[in-house]
Amino acid sequence: MERIDGGFLRRFVQNARNIPPYAAYCSYLGRTPETVTDWRDIPPVPASAFKSHDMSSAPLGSEAAIFETSGTSVSKPGRVRLGSTAAYEASLLRSFERHLLPDAARLPAIVFGPRWVEAPRSSLWFMVDKVVGKFAAAAVYLVRGGDPRWSEADSVLQRVESRREPTLLLGTSLFFMAYFEHLERVDRIFSLPAGSRAMDTGGAKGQRAEYEREEIESAFAHRLGIPPSHLVNEYGMAELGSQFYDDNLLAHHEGRPRLAGKQIPPWVRTRVLHPETLEEQPDGERGILVHYDLANVDIPLAIQTEDIGYRIGDRLHLEGRLLGAEVRGCSLQFEKFLAEGGA
Amino acid sequence: MNRPLDAFYLPPALAGTVETTLQRFGPPPDPLEIRLPLLTPEVLAQWIEHLRTARAKHLAARPIAATIRSLDRVVERYLDPRSRQRREAIDALGRTGTFSAPMVSQALDDAFQPLARGGLSRWLAGELGSARTLDRPMPGPGGTRRRAHGPEWMLQIYAGNVPTVPVLPLFSALLLKSALVAKTAAQEPLFASLLAGAIAEVDPDLGACMAVVWWKGGQTELDRVALERAPAVLAFGGETAITSIGHAARPGAAVVLQGPKVSVGYIGAGAMRRGALQALAARAAHDVALYDQQGCLSPHAYYVERGGMVTPVAFAEALGAALDAAARRLPRREPAPAEAASVQLSRAQAALEAATGRVTRVLESERGTEWTVIAEGSARFEPGPRHRVVRVHAVKDVEEFVRAIAGSERYLEAIAVEERGARRERLETRLSALGVPRITAVGALQRPTPLGTHGGVPRLLPFVRWTTVEKGTAPRRSAAAPKPKSKSKKMMGKKAKRKPSAAAQRKPRPRPKAKSKASASKPSARGSRKGLKRSRR
Repeated sequence: MERIDGGFLRRFVQNARNIPPYAAYCSYLGRTPETVTDWRDIPPVPASAFKSHDMSSAPLGSEAAIFETSGTSVSKPGRVRLGSTAAYEASLLRSFERHLLPDAARLPAIVFGPRWVEAPRSSLWFMVDKVVGKFAAAAVYLVRGGDPRWSEADSVLQRVESRREPTLLLGTSLFFMAYFEHLERVDRIFSLPAGSRAMDTGGAKGQRAEYEREEIESAFAHRLGIPPSHLVNEYGMAELGSQFYDDNLLAHHEGRPRLAGKQIPPWVRTRVLHPETLEEQPDGERGILVHYDLANVDIPLAIQTEDIGYRIGDRLHLEGRLLGAEVRGCSLQFEKFLAEGGA
Repeated sequence: MNRPLDAFYLPPALAGTVETTLQRFGPPPDPLEIRLPLLTPEVLAQWIEHLRTARAKHLAARPIAATIRSLDRVVERYLDPRSRQRREAIDALGRTGTFSAPMVSQALDDAFQPLARGGLSRWLAGELGSARTLDRPMPGPGGTRRRAHGPEWMLQIYAGNVPTVPVLPLFSALLLKSALVAKTAAQEPLFASLLAGAIAEVDPDLGACMAVVWWKGGQTELDRVALERAPAVLAFGGETAITSIGHAARPGAAVVLQGPKVSVGYIGAGAMRRGALQALAARAAHDVALYDQQGCLSPHAYYVERGGMVTPVAFAEALGAALDAAARRLPRREPAPAEAASVQLSRAQAALEAATGRVTRVLESERGTEWTVIAEGSARFEPGPRHRVVRVHAVKDVEEFVRAIAGSERYLEAIAVEERGARRERLETRLSALGVPRITAVGALQRPTPLGTHGGVPRLLPFVRWTTVEKGTAPRRSAAAPKPKSKSKKMMGKKAKRKPSAAAQRKPRPRPKAKSKASASKPSARGSRKGLKRSRR
């Protein structure tokens, strides 16, 4: 605990020293490295800051990765510039392995999405790329040139089914659901071998369609034969080096009932603030989520989101709007404005 | 909990046959129980058939004066503080948690007052020339007589952001002698049903021709049944929703789509006087506070010229004080946590921009997210998160404003303008060049006249087809006419038989004029048939 608190404060000093607009923000708020002694006082930047400011200490041109958050017709996308992805990768690999591969399985992967090189500004496909590179025996990518390859998916799954070889599926909830609609149209179901598992991300509310978690779970079970115990939902955003996972598979592996909510990684703290007063909420009370993440090195470690949820111990419960995987960042007011509209 | 409220309206003949389900609606501790019909595509198709028959029987041949008389009485009831209808509306909407009671009260006044005391007839006359043109041919332009026809029935899809959105659309259907299927919004399914019920009470024949229901958006079968049958569609909603409605509408249907929009204010230097500051800020705050900025007429920013007696920042401060007062007069509804989170995020963003120089001042309500004023030294256009977050931009002149909104004009519904004397008129002329649908005064944004447009599209005309009755005088050959034989041959590629039309071309003014007028008015009507671009944005 002590160590993490100290890590947050040291990282804050680094951030404030090396990211000029963040330094200005801290002085404006009167919470600078000189005055802050409790990590809770470290000013979080609004997730939208990446759209308006260069919130990175990485020298321009030297980036190892640049992730974009969504833009609109009137706003440019936000840019998350990382000089090194080492901490990011260490964090994502550790969380992924713990929650998707607790049995140390090394499986072939089917990615319901593009290779990272085809979507180089996406933190999600970056993450998948790293996961596949580290843990997967082989990989098929079902989005190429921006187009989904449904019939290829059919034949790949057919093969997996007949070879009785457990497989790892990775993708966005919406994309999986679109594929299941295709399966419904062609009247097809698969029964993937036991031990197969899937990570889906984004979820309850997408831009086109909304699905209840139960709908997604039953679609996976019905269409692919992947039971809820082997379907793990992930929550992440471009502005955070770390991700949060459901407990389903880990609980199954450890032979205990599954814990509700998502695991907050040990190097992350999530504060829950009252939506009106911004006072810190006690465990179990919902509010605005503010994440403090040691995996953020070149960008500020503390991020204020628009997400609502509550925390019980080290488990995070998200409510209502889950981030669509394509968005992976704060949704700009304008997007919401376009979506709501009318009169 | 009180007795359940019907969140639908059906004519008695249909209401008896429908199965319903109960749902809880609104915030605790006093949620409403609302009753919703269980709707299947087959049932909806049957309703539509029933309404078409009812329309033929009760509405198609009914004199317009009778409809106006009945609707006048409905208007009076909603304006009468003691009437049951008004109290019911205020109570129900208050308890849905959508808007506070004072807000609903104000909304009813703003919606119905312009329709009272002859307002309905003025509205019809303003768009159609006269109300009676719906009954029989009436004098039209250039000596013709014209008769207007509404569609057999209309499908209307409402948004829930402003409680009284359905008033003008619902009235417009009945005034055009059209039956109506109205789909209400999930956030606010009550008012349209109450209004339809109030109309039916006054006039059962009108009541026989309407159905008001809610079904889950994106329930494609229900949407499809309605859209592929409807000869006329008026829909409010988000961009994705209205785009898919536009695609699904039947070919040839009259379609008007009202997408997301916001409004802004422009205040000239001449209006920035010390003595007038407070009153001006109070009017601006009124427009911001109403409907918690949910409507397309809600201002998200004020562009204030420098060089007046008081500075733009002083205006921002006065606006903050006025919003504080408005919070008591027109209490907001408590925002949902996610909405408050958006306000908090935009406050944090404003603080970041203040720290880095773009924003001059961030003013906030003392507690909570009640109101936020963000003062900036330059212009930009970026709608806020609603819930009384407003920007004040200092600008050099109107051109700076025009540059800032360039490319986003289509998202503007109205501009509230404040300036004195001849400069005001010049401003109005300049701003009207942007093609923004409405220009009005600060404080009057939320009270549009029925005589204006919504989204730049008239409220009745897009749905009207005309019969033109001409005098039909046979063309005569004039003695003085020269012989344009060769010319006419060339143009027509036909023989001299076409002479009469050459003569007609030179007929005295009235005819060509009448023609050009008619064709000038037609595109505006037809422009809004399926595929109208302006209103879709």
